[in-house]
Amino acid sequence: MNDALLSLVTPLVAALIVLTGPAMTPRRASVVVLLGSALSFVAALLALQSVTTSGATQTLNLGGWEDGLAIRLRLSPLSALLLAFTALIHLLAGLYARFSRFTSGDDFWVLSAFLHTALAALWLSADLFNLYITLELIGLAAVAMVALSGPKAYQAAADYLLLSLAASMIYLLGVVFLYSEYHTLDVIQLGTVSADSARTRLALALITAGLMLKGALWPLHLWLPAAHAGAPAAVSALLSAVVVKGPLFILWLAWTEVAPADLAREVGPMVATAGMIALVAGGWAAMRSPYIKVLVAYSTVAQLGYALMALGLLMSWQIPQMHIALWLFVIAHGLAKASLFMAAGEMQGTLGTRRLTGLRGATQTVPIAMFAFAVAGGSLIGLPPSGGFLAKWVLLEPILSQPQNWPWAFGILLGTLVSAAYIFRVVVLAFDRATINPPDTRPYLMGHWLALLPALIVWGMALLGEQLIGLLAGGGV
Amino acid sequence: MILVQMMRWTSLLPVLIILSSLIPALLIFATPENAARRRTILNLGGIVIKLCLVLLMLLGVSQGLRFRFEVDFLPGASLVLQGDALSLQFVTLSSILWLATTIYAIGYLQKSQLKSRFFGYFSLCVSATVGIALSGNLITFLLFFELLTLATFPLVVHRGTDAALKAGRLYLVYTLAGGTLLLMGVALLHSITGTSDFVPGGYVSGAVEENRFALMAAFALMIVGLGVKAALFPLHGWLPRAMVAPAPVSALLHAVAVVKAGAFGIIRVVYDVFGVETGIALGLTPVLMLAAALTILYGSIQALRQTDIKRRLAFSTVSQVSYITLGVAMAGPTAAIGAVVHLVHQGLMKITLFFCAGNMAETLGIHRIQEMDGLGKRMPLTMSAFTVGALGMIGVPPIAGFFSKWYLGLGALESGNDAMLAVLIGSSILNAMYFMPLIYRGWFAQPPTAGWPEDNFKKSRFETHWMMLLPPLFTALLSLLAGIFAGSLASPLGWTEFIISQEFAL
Repeated sequence: MNDALLSLVTPLVAALIVLTGPAMTPRRASVVVLLGSALSFVAALLALQSVTTSGATQTLNLGGWEDGLAIRLRLSPLSALLLAFTALIHLLAGLYARFSRFTSGDDFWVLSAFLHTALAALWLSADLFNLYITLELIGLAAVAMVALSGPKAYQAAADYLLLSLAASMIYLLGVVFLYSEYHTLDVIQLGTVSADSARTRLALALITAGLMLKGALWPLHLWLPAAHAGAPAAVSALLSAVVVKGPLFILWLAWTEVAPADLAREVGPMVATAGMIALVAGGWAAMRSPYIKVLVAYSTVAQLGYALMALGLLMSWQIPQMHIALWLFVIAHGLAKASLFMAAGEMQGTLGTRRLTGLRGATQTVPIAMFAFAVAGGSLIGLPPSGGFLAKWVLLEPILSQPQNWPWAFGILLGTLVSAAYIFRVVVLAFDRATINPPDTRPYLMGHWLALLPALIVWGMALLGEQLIGLLAGGGV
Repeated sequence: MILVQMMRWTSLLPVLIILSSLIPALLIFATPENAARRRTILNLGGIVIKLCLVLLMLLGVSQGLRFRFEVDFLPGASLVLQGDALSLQFVTLSSILWLATTIYAIGYLQKSQLKSRFFGYFSLCVSATVGIALSGNLITFLLFFELLTLATFPLVVHRGTDAALKAGRLYLVYTLAGGTLLLMGVALLHSITGTSDFVPGGYVSGAVEENRFALMAAFALMIVGLGVKAALFPLHGWLPRAMVAPAPVSALLHAVAVVKAGAFGIIRVVYDVFGVETGIALGLTPVLMLAAALTILYGSIQALRQTDIKRRLAFSTVSQVSYITLGVAMAGPTAAIGAVVHLVHQGLMKITLFFCAGNMAETLGIHRIQEMDGLGKRMPLTMSAFTVGALGMIGVPPIAGFFSKWYLGLGALESGNDAMLAVLIGSSILNAMYFMPLIYRGWFAQPPTAGWPEDNFKKSRFETHWMMLLPPLFTALLSLLAGIFAGSLASPLGWTEFIISQEFAL
């Protein structure tokens, strides 16, 4: 548990140093924050090691108060894994922001460190109110980061802020209903007392709606493309890779721990259907988008469909394999999407256009960034042996083993084809040699290589496949 | 101690064979455009090493050694590479033809740009093909199958023109959809029976009683997925269109890499996953046989209608590759010999034809059949190689193609599929109808009085650049030798009989 706390505190300390430290140039700030992320990553790995060797979930009541009163933190193999994942993404995005030619804004460093802290707190919380606080912090940091792009992103940032606040309010309302019914907000306690009642149903509906809005889960995703496409590349990477996963985590807690199992079974198919529609509709929108970053942003909507589908099937069938699939998707998507956004940022910066058609001949003008895009895209499609393939495989197995479940497999098939369509739409353009779009500036290769790094990591996930599955097999919490 | 050493050696060899082209591929990507000599050394060095390693493995397998490498991947399905007699058949074919094609490509692409990219993907493509050959189970096969799609795409669109991009898009639509269906099939089968190594006779027979329908669905998904690459009718649409690729790519696509990967996959699925007996019990092989017979006739008739040389060759591939599927589906040992040996024979003959077509186009600008008039006077060596390849395709002894057809025909009678004998004879007549005019025009018609559309390589000592002349002569010679020495174990036919004796436990 101490390691996990260390992983939580280091980015906070880094942020405070950046805010209060004397003569803090952006360059120094970047060093401090990057060191903080690296330390946090190491601490998270140690926490992961300790929680897997002890084999049990560890809890800690802050200040030593008794259950129900205290702020309770909980470290499970899953939360340790997510801590490590978040720190890794922050490290990769930070490295990119530091070395890329295209600036992410001077305030990127302190905001990203705050965001990191809030996310770490979210993974460790086991209390619905506590989770609300972390959700608000994440939302505020994320909105500020979208605005780093300058005046042209203010509109998107303002919309994001309003929606985010509204979503939080809806969520909070649901939490209040739950409290009035059960007089506790502790997730573990709620799980033992919750029963199927009208008020519980209403509360869960509100919580779900709020979280789906915040997490841009279909059909409440409409704000995402503008916000994610408008932000600087490093910020988009963070937003798509980790930020939208926060609400998903709470949603998962609400339906697997808080909600009574029968109710979850009833609602599960609806959630899974939403996921299936998200896959196809999001993919379709990505396929039609004329802008590079909007395409990538819609692909997030589509890919979250996989996660939603896994969650829905987990709820309705209550089998642990879906749990594994869900979190494998989250991690694989995070890494791949970080790479995609960075590559997209590099390409549109170098080629001087936001339009997809500007990518003609990109395999010659920006070969490494384009390669990163294709490699990361391969994981989104689920080509073996990438992390995306691993997740899809785990999701497919229980679906295929019963003929009556095969319609869901059809959804996955469609999703795969649509993802392939929008990724290769870009790749084919890049091979155009007849009408090459010449770059505005000489490509600055460091940023391109750093964009490739997360993509290589996600393909390397396959080597750890057995370990990751074993880690998540415990059922999470 | 020696035993441990041996085990290590035998498990490393399959990996080394793949790495011997994968590492050069990565190094070639990093090679500057104008460092032609470094690129050539990397290319040829990789091939020489690979050929030595393959030879070593051939010797090992014929002595009864087992080569197997395994690393954890998915639960219940590790990545397995293994060298058995069947995989070696394909590995040897691709390594030798890779040698020929690389030399050809170096000559062919001398004046073009982006050579590092081209040869990088070229080597990657061969690594994927060899990986397919050495795959020890379906998961590993799937992995390399998808890698092959990705590695060949940049080659297909190498010219980067609108037509090339269009063909590339079509190629991706077909192959990625096929790959997804294959994945579904593999996953479905895995959920029923688990994934074990390929074994002669298959490993699903225990599940037939309970999961009849699911097994049939898995088989259908896999065959459709593989059938896209094997250009089974009606999944062949991408193949003629992919002809816009440079000639060495077409040669590789048609003779070794893509269509053969599909055909090889069908062999594996029918023999080593389902097993012939299960295939019959589930009623699957007749359907496959029908699809193959249809494709053979359809491809031949379409070939007859083409006026462009490369397109005629492309449809001829559609037809000829289905001989392999047909032989597999007839489910008897003799037909199986015909099928497996045709994998090699068709490769040798078809690559010769494509090399020759490329020579005609590059040297004299000949693309259409009627432009071939009198070619034998200007390019006698190319025309001779072309003739050997074409006659082999028709099935004239002693060229290799004859032996494929002979065993397929015998197999049709032996397995009681007399109708298939008619298909074979009909297709041979069609083959003759679409190849004889080319041979006739080349040797006996008068050269055009207005001269050739182009006339390059006039300063060359030979009729064309020597690096483009040598490969077709080499492969034509091989297809002759494979026929003449068909009786020895060192020939493809001899080796195939060795394979089939294992598959059918004769």
